[in-house]
Amino acid sequence: MDELQLAQRALSRTLGKARAGEDRELAQRVRENGEALAQMLAGLLKMTRVHAADNRAFDAPIAEFCRALTALAELVGVVHLVAVEDQAYVNEMRLRSEGRPGLKDLGAELRRHNVGGISFQAELDSPQVRALVAGFGSPPAEPYPRGALRSRLALDGVRSVELHGVFRFRTTEDLEGGRADPAAALRRALRLSAEAWDGLAAGRVFNPLPLRRAVAEIVEVGPLSPALWDAWVTGMPRRDHALSVALHALLLGQAAGLPKGVLQDLGVAALVHDVGYAALGAGAGSAGPEGLARHPGEGARVLLRQRGFSDAKVRRLRAVLDHHRSQAEPRGRPSGVGSILRLAEDYSSFVRVYGQRVAAGDVLAAMSRAAGAYYHPALTQLLVNSLGRFPPGTLLELADGRRARSTSPVRSPERFAAPLARFVDPATGEASGPILDLAAGPAVKRALPG
Amino acid sequence: MGPGKGCTGMAASTNPPAQPASGPPGAAGPPAAAAAVQALARAARSFVLYDAGNSVIRQLLEAWREKSRAALDQLGELALDVRPFELALRGEVVYQDLDREKSLAFKLFRDGVRRITLLPTVTWEELLQVLQIVALRYTAIRQQEEDSVTLLRKADLPGVRLVAVEGFAPAEERPEPEADVAGRKDEGVKPPEGWDTPLPRLPAPGQLAWQAVPGAALEALRAEESEEALAPTALALAGDLLAEAARGSWPRPNRDLVQFFAELRDAFLAEGRLAALRRLVDVIGEAGAPEVREELLSGLGDARTLDLILDGLPEEAVDLPPDLLAFVPLLGLSATLDRLAGEQGERRRGLLLKLVLARLPREAEAVLRRLPDLEPGLARALANGLVTRAPERALEVARLLLQQRSEALRLEGLESLARAPGEVPLGPVSGLLADPSEGIRIKAAEVLGRRGDEAAIEPIVRALEEKDRSLREAEVLGRALAEIAPIAAGRRFAEWLRPKSRFLVGPSAQQRRLQWAAVAGMAAVPGADAERQVQEVAQAGDEELRKHCLACLARRRKGAGRG
Repeated sequence: MDELQLAQRALSRTLGKARAGEDRELAQRVRENGEALAQMLAGLLKMTRVHAADNRAFDAPIAEFCRALTALAELVGVVHLVAVEDQAYVNEMRLRSEGRPGLKDLGAELRRHNVGGISFQAELDSPQVRALVAGFGSPPAEPYPRGALRSRLALDGVRSVELHGVFRFRTTEDLEGGRADPAAALRRALRLSAEAWDGLAAGRVFNPLPLRRAVAEIVEVGPLSPALWDAWVTGMPRRDHALSVALHALLLGQAAGLPKGVLQDLGVAALVHDVGYAALGAGAGSAGPEGLARHPGEGARVLLRQRGFSDAKVRRLRAVLDHHRSQAEPRGRPSGVGSILRLAEDYSSFVRVYGQRVAAGDVLAAMSRAAGAYYHPALTQLLVNSLGRFPPGTLLELADGRRARSTSPVRSPERFAAPLARFVDPATGEASGPILDLAAGPAVKRALPG
Repeated sequence: MGPGKGCTGMAASTNPPAQPASGPPGAAGPPAAAAAVQALARAARSFVLYDAGNSVIRQLLEAWREKSRAALDQLGELALDVRPFELALRGEVVYQDLDREKSLAFKLFRDGVRRITLLPTVTWEELLQVLQIVALRYTAIRQQEEDSVTLLRKADLPGVRLVAVEGFAPAEERPEPEADVAGRKDEGVKPPEGWDTPLPRLPAPGQLAWQAVPGAALEALRAEESEEALAPTALALAGDLLAEAARGSWPRPNRDLVQFFAELRDAFLAEGRLAALRRLVDVIGEAGAPEVREELLSGLGDARTLDLILDGLPEEAVDLPPDLLAFVPLLGLSATLDRLAGEQGERRRGLLLKLVLARLPREAEAVLRRLPDLEPGLARALANGLVTRAPERALEVARLLLQQRSEALRLEGLESLARAPGEVPLGPVSGLLADPSEGIRIKAAEVLGRRGDEAAIEPIVRALEEKDRSLREAEVLGRALAEIAPIAAGRRFAEWLRPKSRFLVGPSAQQRRLQWAAVAGMAAVPGADAERQVQEVAQAGDEELRKHCLACLARRRKGAGRG
C-alpha cells in the first residue's frame, strides 16, 4: 500500500468516525437565530433615527427580535451578543455579516454608548425591547455613556440585560511572548463552566466548544506554569470546585505526559464533572451519600444529550462516571482520565471541606497513604511531586514570623518544599505583594490551615 | 456573568507566533503558493462529494503533496495571512473565494485562524493532518466539539505554526467604572448542601517527599488514553452507561442513550472494527433490563447499520459470512425489509433476503405485516421462508396473501395453505373458486382436493356448473371432488359420465364439462369399478374424450405406482 493509499484510508477512518451521529442542527439554529437577533437589533437602532420609540413601525421588528431571543435563550441560556470591530458574535460563534450590512454596522451603533456587547440573562418582552431600543436611540450621556444607559435601562425595567465595554480582537501576536493571559483564561473557564452548569441544569444540550477553547488556552499557558497558579491563588475564587478540579487535573495530566488533545478532554470533563448534582436538583436524595452515589450517573445522562461521536466525548463521559471510582472497586478500576479526575476531585474536596482545619499538604499526605486502594499509585506520587509540601494556596508561617501563601506548584525536586509565594494581607488573608521565591528564603516554619 | 474584560474569545497559538509574513521575494512565489493553497482547498472540499477511497481523492491528495512541497522548496516557508475570503502571502492575494460554503479562507477565518504557516520542516504526515482538519470543517462535522483552532492545537504539529484570535480585549478610549449590574445573574444553579460528601476516610498523613515515578508506571495509563484504546474504553463506557440506566432508573424511552449507542456503532463501522461492534452487541445483550435491551436493539437497527455492514462485505459475497450472523440482532428487520423491497441488485437482494430469513421465526409477525407491500416474487420467497421456519404461521401467511389483489400473491397464499399443518380454513378457498382468474380457481380447487372436506363439495359442483369453465379447470375440480369424498363423488360421476345427449346434436357444453370432470374424478376414485367405468367411456367417446380418459387412467396408474 503506497503513501497515498495509506492517507486515503486514514482520512476515510477519521471522517467516518467524525460523522458518527453528528449533530449539525444545534449549531445551525444558534447561528441562524443569532444572525436574526443581531440583524434585528441593528435595524431597530437605525430606525430610532427616523421614528420615535413608541412608533408602531417598531412593532413587527420588535416581535421578531423577541422571537429570536426566546429561541436562542432556549438553546444556550444566557445570550452574549458581542460586536468586535465590524464583526458580531453570539456566544462566541461568529455571525455571517457578508451581505448583511446591518450586522457590520451593529458595532458602530453600540459604540455610541461605549458599549461593545450585550448579555441577555433572560428573555425580554416587547415593552422591554422597546425600552432597550429607546435607550440606545437616545443621545449618549457624558461622561460615562454606558453607565448612564445601564441606569436608564434599570429604571425602565430592563434588568436582565448586561452591557459590556468595547472590545477589539486580540491575537496571539498581541501577547507578550506568545503566551495567553493566565488570569483571563481562568476567568473565562470559570464563567463558562458556571454557564454550562446552569444550561445543563435547565435541560439544555451541552456545548463543549467554548469550554474546550478556554481549556486549550490554559493548556497553552501550561498547567505547570507558576504564572497560572499565581493567577489562581491571587485572583480566583479558590473554593470554586470545578475550576480547582480542572487545574489540578490538568497539572496531573501534564505531569503524566498526556498529549495536548487528551489534556483538553480532561480539562473539559473536569469543568463539568459534578453536573449530575445540577440534574438532581434540590430534591430528596440529591445530597449526602445518595447524591454522592447518583450524581456521576446523572451527570453522564445529561451530557449524553450532546450528539456526535468523538474521542473527547467518550473520555468525558467515562471520566464523569469514574470521578468517584476507586482503584480497588469491584466493578473495575476507573479509566486513565477518571483516575486523574478522582485524585483532583478528592484533593479539592478535602481542601474545600477541611481546609480551615487542615493544611493542604496534610491532605495530600493522607491521600498519598490511600494510594492503591482509592487512588492510582503512580498518579498519586505524581500529584505529590507536582504540588509539593506546600501546594498552591497553602497558608504559610515563615521563619521571620510573617505569613505568606504559596502560589506555585513544584518547580524542581530540590524545591519540593520551597514554592513561590506572596505575603498575605493581614486584613483580607489573601495573597498580595511581590512574588517571593522561598528557595531563597525566608524558610517556612510551618503550614497552616485556612 | 458575561464576557468581562478580556475573558471572552477564542484561541491562542499552538507555537510561538509567526513573525509578520516575510521572506525572499521571488516571482515564482505567489503562483507556487497559490497552486498549493488551491490544491489544499480542492482536496479538503472534495470529501463533501467523494468517498475518501475514490480515485479523485487520490489525485487531489497527490496534488496537495506535490504543490505544497514545490511551494515550500521555492519559498522556504508558506506563511498565509487569513482574511475573511482571502489568503495572502506577504500581502499578495494567493487565494480568493467569495462563496462561504466553498471558501477555505472563510472556514479558517470563522474559527479564528489569522495566520497559518507551513515551515520548511513540515512532513507529509503533518500536511495530511492539516488537510484532515480543514476537511472536517468543510464537511461541517464536530461543530459542537472542535473547531480548526482546537484541532490544530490538539494535533500539536511541529511543522505548522498558527496565529489565531485569542479573544476580545477591552479597547475603550474612555474606560468606564464597572457597576454592579441590576439583573446580573449572581445566583446560578448551585450544588445541594453537603455535596460530594461523605468524603472517603483517609489514613493519618504520612511523610510527603518527592519520589521519582518510573515512566513505565504511567505507560499503561497513557496507552489507555491513546486513540488505539478508544474501542475498549468506549465499550467499557457503554456497559457502565447501561448499568447506570438500570441502577438510576433513567427515563425510558431514552433517545439519548440509543443515539449514543448508534454513534458507537457508526464509529466502529467507520473504522472497520467489527470485533468491537460484535462486543457492543454482547454488551447490549448483557444489559440487565430486557426493556432497555430491546429499546437499544430496535433503535440501532436502522438502515445505516445495514448499509454499512453490507458495504463492508466482499463484492462477490453471495452468502452471509458466519461473522455477520453475530450482528443480526443489530440489523433492524424493518430497515432490512425496506432495503429488500427497493433493492434491484441480485446479489445484494439475496443477502438481504437471507438476513430477513435469519430473523425467523422470532420476528415472523413483522415479516407478515410487510408481506402485502412486497412485490410477488419477494413475497413468495418470504412466505416460503415463513412457512418453512414458522409452520405454525402458515395459515396467517395464506390468509394474508389470499386477501391481496396480485394473482401471484394469492397463488402463493394458496400454496402456503396447502403446506400448512393442521386444519385449514376452507371458506376463503372455496370462495376463490369464483375468482376471475382461472389460475387461482385451479389452485384453489387443488388445495380443496388436498385439504378440503364435504363442505367443499357444493361449491365445487357449483363451479362446474358455471358456463365459462374450461375443460382443464373441470378436470381439476373433478379430481378435487374425488379426493374429498370419493363415494359421494362416485355417484355423481356415474351420472355425469353418460350424459343424456340430444339426438344428432350430442352433449351440451355443460354436459361435456361435467363428463370431463367425472372422467378425471372417477380415475381418482379407488377400486376396479371406477377404472372400468372410465375405460367404457373411453371406448364410447370421441377421440378427444378417449385421450382424456387414457391420460387420466395413466395418471391413476402412476399414482398407484408411487403408492
